[in-house]
Amino acid sequence: MYAISSWGQLLTDGILYGLVYALTAIGLSLIFGTMRIVFIAQGTIVVFLAYISYWSYRLLGIDPYLSLVIVLLVGFSLGYFFYRTMFKQASILSDRISSLLIAVGIMFFMENLMTNLWTPDPRAIVTKYAFFSLKLFGISLTLTRVISLVLGVLCVVGLTVFLKKTYLGIAIRAAAENPEICRLMGINPHKVNPLSFGIGLALAGVAALNIAVNYSFDPVYGIDIAVKALIALTLGGLNTIIGALIGGIMLGLIETISTYLVGAGWSQGILFGVFLLVLMFRPQGLFGR
Amino acid sequence: MAVWGFTRKRTLQFLPFGLMGFLAVLPFFVDVDASFFAYYLFLSFCFVTLGQGWNIVGGYAGQISLASHAFFALGAYTTALIWTLDPANKFFYFNPLLILAGGLSAAVFAFLVGTPLLYRLKGDFFAFGSFAASEVLRTIILRWMGFTGGAHGLSLPADFFTTLRPHYWAMLLLACLSTGYVLFMERSRMGLILKAISEDEVAAATRGINVLLYKVLAFVVGGFFIGMCGSVFTYYLLMINPQSVMNLNWMFLPILVSILGGKGTAWGPVIGAFVIGGVYGYLELIGGIHPMISGALIIVLMKYMPQGLVGLMAHMARVKGA
Repeated sequence: MYAISSWGQLLTDGILYGLVYALTAIGLSLIFGTMRIVFIAQGTIVVFLAYISYWSYRLLGIDPYLSLVIVLLVGFSLGYFFYRTMFKQASILSDRISSLLIAVGIMFFMENLMTNLWTPDPRAIVTKYAFFSLKLFGISLTLTRVISLVLGVLCVVGLTVFLKKTYLGIAIRAAAENPEICRLMGINPHKVNPLSFGIGLALAGVAALNIAVNYSFDPVYGIDIAVKALIALTLGGLNTIIGALIGGIMLGLIETISTYLVGAGWSQGILFGVFLLVLMFRPQGLFGR
Repeated sequence: MAVWGFTRKRTLQFLPFGLMGFLAVLPFFVDVDASFFAYYLFLSFCFVTLGQGWNIVGGYAGQISLASHAFFALGAYTTALIWTLDPANKFFYFNPLLILAGGLSAAVFAFLVGTPLLYRLKGDFFAFGSFAASEVLRTIILRWMGFTGGAHGLSLPADFFTTLRPHYWAMLLLACLSTGYVLFMERSRMGLILKAISEDEVAAATRGINVLLYKVLAFVVGGFFIGMCGSVFTYYLLMINPQSVMNLNWMFLPILVSILGGKGTAWGPVIGAFVIGGVYGYLELIGGIHPMISGALIIVLMKYMPQGLVGLMAHMARVKGA
């Protein structure tokens, strides 16, 4: 019914869009995994970091890909700061709702801070090379999207290697597995947790760059990303990087394809419907253990 | 000491009734429409009902529900839809049957969604599932244009709105009913069973408790109160669309109110509601930056008193007693 090339285009778009969710979800998975915090403000942090990239481009003339360094640093320090000042006590409590509410508080605060400082207008970074595109098998790909894809893959691979091979990564995974036994083994959770929080928010920075360069964003867009990322995470299986990645990409695909087939209004409902079905029949997620 | 404690307890028992009476006769002495204080009280009553609705399922049964906005919207839409069939009819303005119908439709939704979800899912997964179900409902409301009016929604005849007085009393009644129900439930078999379920589900099941039945019951009753609250709020808004009644605020507020006050206690949501009502009502006067202040307030409160205000008071009483 539809031409092959348009389906190919659709799938590519879906995967690229899903990458935003996937990167956000991987950050969330790190934070949820080690501290059992449902960090709903993750999407708002993505938007905040996108603003940082935007302003460093507009005011300082820094290329968005160079500003990634700034964004990553800001993201990491924000995560470190959030853990040190707000989540240190709450993360120990077995009752996770108070840490969820702190995250909601952060979300309210930052959303409105951004709206007041930078107006609610949607923004996007348009670089000189933004319209440079290449055609591959009838699928048009802009350069910025290719770079985003490469960056995303690099991040996922880098993070996986970090978690599997380095001492710190193993400590983070151990803390995710069992905090009590981890403490018995001499790993201080208050040393590990701020680092994984920082890494989680630094990953949000990569997603932020992806959004800022390829799509547009506004201050209240964050909750949407956060909810989708949370779904991606649950869809793929909590505590697994690969699950979050595939869950995010699946979500992007479902959204793009259902928008194409039945219209934008239904895509949200279909997305949540699929999520419900997966939850009902495979509560541990598609790739969960 | 014992005698003193006894009498003190007796006076405390009469305090809620005194307060209730005072609030009920207040509109005769204060001009409800001109006074901001009355609006604040109306908002707080609304929050009490919402908070108690969440408290029953989230506080007592220990199941975190993220579906409050769906209940609220269902109550509002049921009321608005029945009214729009015959908008000129004054009969529908503050008809108790219509308010009940709003609550019932939310309860039916809670039953239909809650039974399979609670059967399969626990903890965070139930929370996500209830949220997803609500979002599916949002899509249906948005897309079923002919029936619900889509994103534009339904407009009710605004000329019926002359004074805030009936809203004030209706909300006060709902707040009293929900708090009264929670107080009653706390002392009843159901309250004990819900507490048992939230402590240890498996242990409760081995005692022969039908865990699923009571969890669904809590979800349904909570939904019923939130639906009725949405129904009464419809008469205040008169503009019913997904943006106004299915705003995610209606999901966060009940949680905020009952956690802030102290979940799993009957008086926690009441205290929380009056605090949050103040934050939401009065900070609106400041203007644009008020959500920032409320955001910061949530963080500070949750960081320093995760047990809520009731927990803080109990702690202070213990310190004083010791």
